[in-house]
Amino acid sequence: MKRIEVKLSLPVVAPLLDLMKASSDVLEAQIAAPITLDDIDADFREDWRAELLGGQQEELHALMGLFNSDFFINGVVAFDEDNAEIIVRACSALRLRLRRHDLDILEDEQLESGGVDIERLPAALQKPFMCYVFLGTIQELIIQHLDTAILRGPAGESGPAEDDDEGAGDFDLDKD
Amino acid sequence: MSPPVLTTARRAEPLLAGAGARPGLAPDEVALPESAFAVQGPWRVVVLNDPVNSMGYVVLVFRKVFGFAEPRARRHMLEVHEQGRSVVWSGLREQAELYAFALQQWHLTAVLETDEAH
Repeated sequence: MKRIEVKLSLPVVAPLLDLMKASSDVLEAQIAAPITLDDIDADFREDWRAELLGGQQEELHALMGLFNSDFFINGVVAFDEDNAEIIVRACSALRLRLRRHDLDILEDEQLESGGVDIERLPAALQKPFMCYVFLGTIQELIIQHLDTAILRGPAGESGPAEDDDEGAGDFDLDKD
Repeated sequence: MSPPVLTTARRAEPLLAGAGARPGLAPDEVALPESAFAVQGPWRVVVLNDPVNSMGYVVLVFRKVFGFAEPRARRHMLEVHEQGRSVVWSGLREQAELYAFALQQWHLTAVLETDEAH
């Protein structure tokens, strides 16, 4: 099973976790991306919303579960075939929440181009923006190294058997 | 619209497992009798741009949900990015809903359209 381990800088990441947790708590009761199908049957829509919310809750619990007591000892988080998909989706949900709630004064073009200088942001926006970038980096790492696992699906699910034993990867995102 | 018989999650499973798997048909092509369209009409699944989800993420989602090969997924992603929207599938309403549901599970914004809406 392919697995990547990422070494994070505790002094950098730990302060972001409070905001991630707070955003995650809000998303316990709120779909990150709006449901846009206005004309579907009301009962069906409610079932739909409930299932999306249940899935989103599961994703966020998995993501926040990475930052457990072990993480605070060694600063390492691990991604593999079993959690890659759910973590990538959780990152997307949290980034949507951060963008709409905490970073709403930034222009879309700024976010899409990556042309934001964090040092020039107002202090209140710096942590949300770091969080936003951090989650995007996690997504990129997973997509870069575990995309075949995501496309294939969890172990046991049918799908083409591709390179299955690519060994472990280690990454160091320690910025200190 | 007829009321759902199964919950969305149960209905989505075979869709995702089988997307793009039928020989001779691209994932956004569905072989249907004309009478089916006459009753339900062809519906389009349209993905809208958002400034949050990265290009790589959107390509991954298109490949996962629709079974697109990478070049095709990338083409749709670029259409979303540059034109604000891309029609990624068309066919019966019920299956279009399943695809829209799957896209929303991945936190993309998708709408359904039919010719009558224009």
